[in-house]
Amino acid sequence: MAEVKRKKVDVSIDKTTIKNLAMGGLLGGGGECFVDVKDGKVVRIRPFKYDWKYDWESLRPWKIERNGQVLTPLRKALPAPFSLAYKKRTFSPNRIKYPLKRVDWDPNGAPGSVGPGGRNTQNRGKSKFVRISWDEATTIVANEIRRIHKEYGPLAILAQGDGHGENKTIHTPHGHQARLLDMMGGFTQQVRNPDSWEGWYWGAKHVWGQGFQGMMSPAANLIKDISEHSTLVLKWGCDEETTPWGFTGMYASRISQFWTRAGIKQVYICPDLNYAAAVHADKWIPVLPNTDAALQLAIIYVWLKEDTWDKEYVATHAVGMDKVAAYVLGEEDGIPKTPEWASKKCGVPEWTIKALARQFAKNTTSIIHYFGGSAFRGPYSHEPGRLECILLGMQGLGKPGVHQCQMTYFGMPRAEGLGSVRFFNPELPERLTKPCWTTVHAWGPQLIPKTLIQDAILKPPLVFHGSGGQESQTEEQFTRYTYPIPEEEGGTRIHMIWTDTPCRITCWNHGNRTIEAFRDPSIETIVAQHPWLENECLYADIILPANTTLEVEDIVTTVRQGPHFASVSIQEQAIQPIGESKSDYEIVCAVADKLGLLDKFTDGLSTRDLQKIVFDAMKMDKLTTWEEFYEKKTYVYKTAVDWEQDPPGLRKFYEDPKNNPLKTPSGLLEFYSERLAQHFPCDNERPPYPKWIEKGETHDESLSSERAAMFPLLLMSNHPRWRTHAQGDDISWARETPTGKVLGFDGYRYEPIWIHPSDAEPRGIKDGDIVKVFNERGIVLVGARVWERIRPGVVYVDHGARHDPIIPGKVDRGGAINTIAPNGITSKNCVGQATSGYLVDVQKVTNEEWETWRRDYPEAFARDYDPGAGLRFDAWIEER
Amino acid sequence: MKVFVIDVDLCVGCYACQFVCKDEHVGNDWSPIAKPQPDTGQFWMRLDEYIRGTVPKVEMHYIANPCYHCDEPPCLTACPVEGCIYKREDGLVIIDTEMCTGCKNCVDACPYKAIYFNDDLNLAQKCTGCAHLLDGGEWTVPRCVDACPTEAIKFGEEADFAEEIARAEVMKPELGCKPRVYYLNIPKKFIAGTVYDPVEKEIIEGAVCTLTGPDGATCTVTTDGFGDFWFRGLADNTTYSLTIAADGFAPKTFEGITTEKDVNLGDIPLER
Repeated sequence: MAEVKRKKVDVSIDKTTIKNLAMGGLLGGGGECFVDVKDGKVVRIRPFKYDWKYDWESLRPWKIERNGQVLTPLRKALPAPFSLAYKKRTFSPNRIKYPLKRVDWDPNGAPGSVGPGGRNTQNRGKSKFVRISWDEATTIVANEIRRIHKEYGPLAILAQGDGHGENKTIHTPHGHQARLLDMMGGFTQQVRNPDSWEGWYWGAKHVWGQGFQGMMSPAANLIKDISEHSTLVLKWGCDEETTPWGFTGMYASRISQFWTRAGIKQVYICPDLNYAAAVHADKWIPVLPNTDAALQLAIIYVWLKEDTWDKEYVATHAVGMDKVAAYVLGEEDGIPKTPEWASKKCGVPEWTIKALARQFAKNTTSIIHYFGGSAFRGPYSHEPGRLECILLGMQGLGKPGVHQCQMTYFGMPRAEGLGSVRFFNPELPERLTKPCWTTVHAWGPQLIPKTLIQDAILKPPLVFHGSGGQESQTEEQFTRYTYPIPEEEGGTRIHMIWTDTPCRITCWNHGNRTIEAFRDPSIETIVAQHPWLENECLYADIILPANTTLEVEDIVTTVRQGPHFASVSIQEQAIQPIGESKSDYEIVCAVADKLGLLDKFTDGLSTRDLQKIVFDAMKMDKLTTWEEFYEKKTYVYKTAVDWEQDPPGLRKFYEDPKNNPLKTPSGLLEFYSERLAQHFPCDNERPPYPKWIEKGETHDESLSSERAAMFPLLLMSNHPRWRTHAQGDDISWARETPTGKVLGFDGYRYEPIWIHPSDAEPRGIKDGDIVKVFNERGIVLVGARVWERIRPGVVYVDHGARHDPIIPGKVDRGGAINTIAPNGITSKNCVGQATSGYLVDVQKVTNEEWETWRRDYPEAFARDYDPGAGLRFDAWIEER
Repeated sequence: MKVFVIDVDLCVGCYACQFVCKDEHVGNDWSPIAKPQPDTGQFWMRLDEYIRGTVPKVEMHYIANPCYHCDEPPCLTACPVEGCIYKREDGLVIIDTEMCTGCKNCVDACPYKAIYFNDDLNLAQKCTGCAHLLDGGEWTVPRCVDACPTEAIKFGEEADFAEEIARAEVMKPELGCKPRVYYLNIPKKFIAGTVYDPVEKEIIEGAVCTLTGPDGATCTVTTDGFGDFWFRGLADNTTYSLTIAADGFAPKTFEGITTEKDVNLGDIPLER
């Protein structure tokens, strides 16, 4: 064969920048990546290497051992696939390229005005947008702020630092507008509830105290202790192959594989064969959604009957066991919570419940999570949240191998010189953290829990207890709030909304009611800032294009524990901003400029100044020099020499509860909460100790409901596999996977619904069919995945798909399942969300329905659509 | 000579390999090694999913499929243009982007469906083992290996993987293509179930389950603390009989269990 002369490929690059591309937001996070850039273009995104600038051994790689098996960190970071696909986010066809104004919204129109020159709030979600200049956009926003302030007072503006977002510090989303409005006399704050761990926030806090936002804390060295001592781990609603991805990356996968090698049995309790159960489970127990409390009570029943619980520990470490025992044994209500009783509620065979109870007691057992699956995000989720604490308490919580562990979120080996591992980095100064307070603290003078925004708009006034602020103390749950606050304190209904990274429609409760509220004439102005034209942006009047992390210079810390090494890095600008976009910070600066507040807002600080402030605040001068850090662009924390000495979890409480009390009134585990009894004596939805709440005044979503005749299936919704909540729905490479989207006959990619063959067959549903999932609250179109990954009687749709209205507030084509989630909060005195475990039915979409929708709403079917990435920005733009 | 060694047991199905292959190739031109990969629908590194069993005995595995870089590549012999498809000294098989005429012969010839046809570019395309990066000098492994969080996909010198290769399998060995992609731990079929006492409503632990194959060979497991038994590693399309025996219960026998698919016999009551 003749020798062929071939050209050598030039693979040189101009620069490599570091970007943490997980999507947890809030001043830091994992998913550390290298971004290779050439000629101003992103060539590739690949995992960051911890030994890029540091000698590997100098990082003191740690080691955990069990039964001859070893767990060690890797030299590379483990960003999730959607982080590695971040090009698709930055260059998404759904990116907003320039400022926009809704075509039929006139800022000079009177409140409630309809028609030409009016505000036409009724057309939000229907009418399109026109391009305007930054000057015009910021002038309108500034003028609207002034007008609203004059007419109603500052608290008439609602600041939403919404949802989840990119990992940025200086340019972070989530509330720069609140900081500006705060300088101008205040604002009404949307307080974001603990949307992924409601059960522990509203429940567990009353048993083991504040913890970390309700989750068990202290949580040092949990991975080591569980690895060394546990013989059984219960992954209760846990999917470590999904939920860590957007926050800490994929190290959890390696821990689960290590546990398997080490002989630690892993039992998954969840309605779905989730992605982790599919590859790690020794046993899958498919429980009906939101019935975990029944299963937990039956476990307690078996232990009481068989005397297989730690009575000595409970006697010295807990209060209220007598009341729990009386309830479980049926002495209180005449119903013993037997496995037979529980089996009918939770759908697990009686013999399996008994076996689970015995295995739990017989083994050294920990319960593992990475936030809540369906078990801790449904109606009355505080009951399974509290019962989990009681189960662990009855087996000696804190003793070797007996813990609750949020796997890799906490519990990894300690880094040297790193002050805090809290995700909301408290070491940073107020100048940098204050914008993000909007998401984690209740700090506005007038508050509305995020779960009640729609009710605040549609049926004020409101009275509620506890703001739901993620960082709020347990006691705050007893604080009575009103909306509006009294007029003499500046209280007023809201008339303007300024939202960033909005995703309430698709990630919170009853999105369809959100839509109704956003179209209410009382909301005169809605300003949205976001990189992508999606969800509430469709209901805004002014849209300000934000940019993504690849387009800004920043500094980002991975203080969260998931990455196997913590790091801080200078994150250089990789590429120029897309279109006319600005960072979330720069957007608010532009508005501040129009209000004459720019200097006050920036403090005259440059990006470099702010980077140095972070360096100083984190006391990095004790670890390196600013010059060396800036030159290397990264500092990777070494493992602390004495990390193994940190007492694991609640070990000190276990050993000596008197001198190491919990943050509860008694200092002990409060199986019965006297405090709840005092503050809410009539609350039968969250009584002083946890019970099985089948229905109540807030929710009627059980299979025993009369509604189940019409809606006989329970819908569960986990955190999305291919998104972090609403982020990432446009990644074409994810959308084409079997669980990404279902390609419909019409070329549209529908959000999947998992349905068991035994439920699909009588409905005539085949894999790949486009079906409607519905209840009284609306219809969502989805694509059927008919398979054995879901138990009979249950259907599963991830939340967070982009809303694509056919009929706004009624029919959604994008798969935004939370549009039909319950409006009701967790329970009447808990302003959490209940977005998993509710009644629906699923049916094929009939030809008649298709024809009617296409005839009556042709514009919904005429929108430009990218076959790979889906919804497009230009579908909503009117050319002029 | 390079090989891929893919441990199916370590793969958690995250698709990072499939994604970063696209990250490397969609929108990037590495001619003459590779021209851009279409954004969707083509998978030079393709992850296949397998769901096995029925509720609640369901397991999954995933198989990552790059080009197998065969030592006897049917694509090469099918290509009418001499030197267009070539095998490098390191074992990687490449389709020269500048010589391919778009005849599609190689697409049809590949028994592993590893070659895709790009209509827009009139070009046959596939995994290159990221040869462009290896040639650049800074990379020693392709993108899929760099991104794999569990190190399920490994790449390197054949001699360094002798131990793994000795216990590995290749796909369709009977075709004689001699693939350079070796697989470890591809699951075989299972037969599983849960044994319980319908009177006491208790699982039965320690029940002796004996599986008899067509050749009369038997295999025995006992039920665990959930009453579960699992027979794994069974051959495809084989007919077995199963006997379950426990003290105090009448033995129960299942005849004619065929492993066309994985078999969950469900919750099995034993009568006294």
